[in-house]
Amino acid sequence: MAPVRFLVAPVKILLVEDDHETSAHIVYALNGEGHEVAVCHDGQKGLETARAGGHAALIVDRMLPGLDGLSLVRQLRAEGNPIPVLFLTTMSGLNDRVEGLQAGGDDYLVKPFAFPELLARVHAISRRGAAQDSEPVRLRAADLEIDLIRRTVHRGGRPIELQAQEFRLLEYLMRNMGRVVTRTMLLEHVWDLHFDPRTNIVETHMSRLRGKVDRGHGGELIHTVRGAGYTLRAD
Amino acid sequence: MRIRFLRTEGFRLSALYAGVFALSVVILGAFVLVITNQALRDQIVTFSSTDIAAIRNGYGSEGDFEAIEVVHQLMAGPANSGFYLLQRDGKVLAGNLPAMSPRTGTIEFSDSVAGGSREMLGVGEFVAPGLYVFSGSDKARLRAVEAHILDVMLVLFAVALLIAVAGGTLVSRSFLRRTDAMAKACRDIMQGDLKLRIPVRGTRDELDRLAEAINEMLSRISALMENLSQVSNDIAHDLRTPVTHLRHRLERARADCRTAEDYGVALEAAIAKADEILGLFTALLRIAQIEGGERRAAFAPLELGAVLAQMRELFEPVAEEAGDTLQLTAAGQTIIRGDRQLLVQLFSNLIENAIVHTPRGTRILLSLSRADGRAVARVSDDGPGVPREEHERLFRRLYRREASRAQPGYGLGLSLVAAIAELHGAVIRLVDGPGLAVEISFPLAAEEMEKA
Repeated sequence: MAPVRFLVAPVKILLVEDDHETSAHIVYALNGEGHEVAVCHDGQKGLETARAGGHAALIVDRMLPGLDGLSLVRQLRAEGNPIPVLFLTTMSGLNDRVEGLQAGGDDYLVKPFAFPELLARVHAISRRGAAQDSEPVRLRAADLEIDLIRRTVHRGGRPIELQAQEFRLLEYLMRNMGRVVTRTMLLEHVWDLHFDPRTNIVETHMSRLRGKVDRGHGGELIHTVRGAGYTLRAD
Repeated sequence: MRIRFLRTEGFRLSALYAGVFALSVVILGAFVLVITNQALRDQIVTFSSTDIAAIRNGYGSEGDFEAIEVVHQLMAGPANSGFYLLQRDGKVLAGNLPAMSPRTGTIEFSDSVAGGSREMLGVGEFVAPGLYVFSGSDKARLRAVEAHILDVMLVLFAVALLIAVAGGTLVSRSFLRRTDAMAKACRDIMQGDLKLRIPVRGTRDELDRLAEAINEMLSRISALMENLSQVSNDIAHDLRTPVTHLRHRLERARADCRTAEDYGVALEAAIAKADEILGLFTALLRIAQIEGGERRAAFAPLELGAVLAQMRELFEPVAEEAGDTLQLTAAGQTIIRGDRQLLVQLFSNLIENAIVHTPRGTRILLSLSRADGRAVARVSDDGPGVPREEHERLFRRLYRREASRAQPGYGLGLSLVAAIAELHGAVIRLVDGPGLAVEISFPLAAEEMEKA
């Protein structure tokens, strides 16, 4: 498999993970994308490093020596630190995701994970941190435009009729324009499904959406990224 | 060890009871003593007054002589134990007491005699100017009665105490025997005999109720433990297979691969196999977690029809691509209490089964209705169905039908469905059909029951 190129600007990322093999694995993946990674192996050290600032995102394990991940993030949030947080855990618990988000995490990833899944999520949260202030009304990609208030879609000036879930799918792709979104991210954010379905739900819905948005319009906007997911790109 | 019953609750209770009983005997005794004492004194005073009246009468008829005669008669009376004194101006005229300073009314005094003193109680009166009469009794008699009463009370007190202690010992011994039996049963269970239960006498008393509660707890614990050991066994047995396959693939890749491309393909396949193993782990853990029941704390009222509508919307394109149709019939609002995320997974599993395990052109129907105060959700298809004798096995963990072995999956989908249904207090029924129908009846939310 050729390495997936995410083509995003390199940033500095803080990783708090006590398992050396896992942290080496994550550092390798992020370095491959050109990111710089600072690693802490215990919670207290991680908290101090995060307080010092200068990181675009924090990847933190739930179970850590010294101070657990949840408490670390709660502490940071209590201090008003807005750093985007991605929780990592081996626990496949049902409540873990909710607990992580309530503690102030931005996203959640269950170990073990594929490289593209980790990279896509890190990119999604680190970008989210930058562009959170103004909620846009319209999103545009080349000649495709969606109106988030009226919930209408136009391509080349012509209206396109979409079902509610097709609109949500397109909206999610547009919000993450230029970034890779994985199948799991789509299942979680578009349909609120938190398990691995046996049927090709994402592929089927994506194919329908492409049929309406891309087909017959010249110039594909939605692209399949092999081994990773999808991306909406205007190029 | 022999006096262990002294420390039992039963003995403590009977000791307390004995204490209260003894105290009541003491109070009763004191009461009897006071009353008796008073009655005896009244009697002495009455008799003395009668004697004095007789002496006064004697004096009234024939003066000093007759008064002296009456005193002598009284002293000589049968079984007389009284004491008398008739004196004029300090000089004894008659009686068996020495002269004394005259006091009138009911009087008490001690009178020294050879070898000690005696306590006198009686009535004194001037019959005529200068002529003083006293009639009374030795209080020794009073004291004797008091002492007798005290003796009786003491015996009563001792007997009461003895009965209470003996009773307490008996009660606590039997209590101890039963708690010992319970403790022994608990220890035997700890030793590993999980089938054992605490003995119940069938008297529905507090110890029986306690024993029953413990037995129910033990049943629940052993069910959970069986579940746990089954999961561990499943993991041990069934993970061997995919891990062995993974090893085979890697071994074959090492032997056969010649080009970088060959290796790439082999590695992709190995990663896919590893993912399958991890997926199996996740599914097993999730079932165990759902069966643990902690998720129930987050239950909230939800509209089941809306969940099914979401399911139809989600799977309709998938079914269409598989050449099937997916329809929904639901009438009215049906609110149950539950966990939306888990219910979505439950219905997804059932719908995916209907899509994956049936030929093209199958009609899949979701329906929601009410029956007997319950919400009945149904996922049915007109596919080939499942023979009745296999129905029971379908919900077993890691069970896979011969016909579906070629399909990807771990045989955990329906176990998960069963676990989620159980958590919601729902009952699953497989209905023979043309095809297969899975019927799940949920209890309605309380607010819904009121409306009905």
